[in-house]
Amino acid sequence: MPTVFEAPEINWAAIAPMLVVMAGGLIGIVVEAFVPRRRRHSVQVALSVVALVLAFVALVTLTVDNRVKTLGGSVVMDGMSVFLQGSLIVFGLLGVLTMAEKFGGDRPDAFTPMGAAIPGSAYEAAADRAGLATSEVFPLALFSLSGMMMFVAAGDLITMFVALEVLSLPLYVLVGLARRRRLLSQEASLKYFLLGAFASAFFLFGSALLYGYAATTDLDGIAAAITETRPGLEPLLVPAILLVLVGLLFKVGAVPFHSWTPDAYQGAPTPVTGFMAAATKLAAFGAILRFVYVGVEGTRWSWEVGLAVIAALTMVVGAVLSVTQTDIKRLLAYSSIAHAGFILVGVLAFSTLGLRGVMFYLLAYGLMTIAAFAIVSMVRQGGTEATQLSQWAGLGQRHPILAATFGFLLLAFAGIPLTSGFTAKFAAFAPAIESGTLGVVLVVIGVLASAVTAFVYVRIIVLMYFSDATSEDVVAAEASPLTTAAVAVGAVATVVLGIVPGPVLELAAQASELIR
Amino acid sequence: MTNPYTPMLILVALGAGFVIFSVGLAQIVGPKRYNRAKAEAYECGIQPSPQAAEGGRFPIKYYLTAMLFIIFDIEAVFLYPYAVAFDQLGLFTLLAMFLFLLNAFFIADAYVWKRGGFEWD
Amino acid sequence: MSLVNYIYLSAILFSIGGAVVLLRRNAIIVFMGVELMLNAANLAFITFARMHGQLDGQVIALFVMVVASAEVVVGLAIIMAIFRSRRSASIDNANLLKA
Repeated sequence: MPTVFEAPEINWAAIAPMLVVMAGGLIGIVVEAFVPRRRRHSVQVALSVVALVLAFVALVTLTVDNRVKTLGGSVVMDGMSVFLQGSLIVFGLLGVLTMAEKFGGDRPDAFTPMGAAIPGSAYEAAADRAGLATSEVFPLALFSLSGMMMFVAAGDLITMFVALEVLSLPLYVLVGLARRRRLLSQEASLKYFLLGAFASAFFLFGSALLYGYAATTDLDGIAAAITETRPGLEPLLVPAILLVLVGLLFKVGAVPFHSWTPDAYQGAPTPVTGFMAAATKLAAFGAILRFVYVGVEGTRWSWEVGLAVIAALTMVVGAVLSVTQTDIKRLLAYSSIAHAGFILVGVLAFSTLGLRGVMFYLLAYGLMTIAAFAIVSMVRQGGTEATQLSQWAGLGQRHPILAATFGFLLLAFAGIPLTSGFTAKFAAFAPAIESGTLGVVLVVIGVLASAVTAFVYVRIIVLMYFSDATSEDVVAAEASPLTTAAVAVGAVATVVLGIVPGPVLELAAQASELIR
Repeated sequence: MTNPYTPMLILVALGAGFVIFSVGLAQIVGPKRYNRAKAEAYECGIQPSPQAAEGGRFPIKYYLTAMLFIIFDIEAVFLYPYAVAFDQLGLFTLLAMFLFLLNAFFIADAYVWKRGGFEWD
Repeated sequence: MSLVNYIYLSAILFSIGGAVVLLRRNAIIVFMGVELMLNAANLAFITFARMHGQLDGQVIALFVMVVASAEVVVGLAIIMAIFRSRRSASIDNANLLKA
């Protein structure tokens, strides 16, 4: 006789931010269907901004007081979820602002008029003349963001898997929608998709094995199962954890699962690159933190060294390969790989302070990344983005403010004191040093890798200020208040978090609790 | 109690009987006037010979149809288990199902419909 | 027959899928490899559900099927776009992005 069905208890206040963002995406689809074409862009932008602001308001008014495990344990709204979701909403807002940028044209500058058209075909040209625009990018971004918010709050592996796909699938499409260099963009999309699907299959098979081991996909249940002896099932545990970690580390772009990062970052429309560099990394690290800290910490000794090796490799490979890059977007991609390594060092501290450091790092890194990519999207030669480093020569003489902002953000990437990059690295590395020998070794590697990346960034600053321009027609496009706002927020946050990090660090400290 | 498979066999026999009866009756009673259109593939699809389509490739429209099919496919995956046990599941799941249909079906279809996804040409 | 055999089968299917992804050069075939891996995971979920005497694993399999079909749609759309612009679905030809 089947037992009577009991509806799971739902704490609506706790999940309200996620619901608002999802509803925003759904309404966006309806807008795409029913609003006349001319007004779609402005309606979509307004809708996305309103949805994100509402979500943020819901988060700070409702969710903070409802830190619970809800929906039958599949969503855990604890301090970490609240902090990371808040950061995600901010990234989403800045991302939407940069995606809406028109640079004086009549439609979003970064996106193709017709994603399905063959590049260079008469059909594409006709779509361009007709003034079509893919305003679907805004609902797609909102869906992706809702997946990310679910990802950081997922309390069981299957919710995590669904969230992983909800965040990934819209991103695969977004990556392929660049307006210029269509072939490159499509190729980036294909690579990101195939490798992403491959990685999520690993994640899923790992979840299946963990389910076999623990008889539940709940992270607490798995943690409890690890403390018991499970005759006959023990051999499943370590392979399962490693497979799940492969899936998660792929998303943060850790070596050796990083090969998609430079390609996807280079091919994607630049505002999308900024958004995904900041938000995907944060979401994936949120999931790693929860999986590692809540789920499988009990058997830490059996995989900790592996993760440490990956962290070390990620830092070294990311830093060294960024030296050889000649394309600014690829360079920032390798730098993001190196940063993934630095953040992993903080994760490996296995302490509340480590959690605080990682969360602070993710927020600081995301803000500077979105601003940096927004600036990359502004530097133009002949109407297209000038992404070759040689084209940036002498930019400081013609556009001093822009170049100074970019240089400052690069110093923050390098972790120079008085920028948020320094505070973030300090907050992530200090707990690692306290955690033992392994942590000390990793921090030493991290500092050396930072020195290498600092060399790369300083080289760009020298290029911008002390080299003569190769061609005079490289200019910074006249940005609308949207992009300017995104850059300003990113840059100001980088200064503030560098000089007075206290309040945000305090916030992160209050948020570094995990409901088990 | 009779064998539980007996009703199934009766149903199979009834179905087969109906097919034989109706097709046979049409053969005997119906008029027979042939033309080219009748010899072609029925209603849907493209000319199967000599090649499926120009150069043996299927037009891209079929892929679009295949993708649209997924919307209905996904629905059925969840509707079926729900339909089997809906009397025990109560109001909560009914509302959840409505929400699911609204999101996965109506909104998606409204978008496809308004943007011309259902038009063949 | 022991249920463990199904786990072995699913591990073998997963490995075949992984090998297909790494070795084949046609994007559609690579994609089929990924689908095989997902379905191998499904088989493992269902077998474990049977072993533990639960239904959870079967429900999870339904979710995975749905996610996999959503992935098919996005994947096919991307592969189709590439194919139309290059007349080729070979992933070796997709080599514009190089370090």
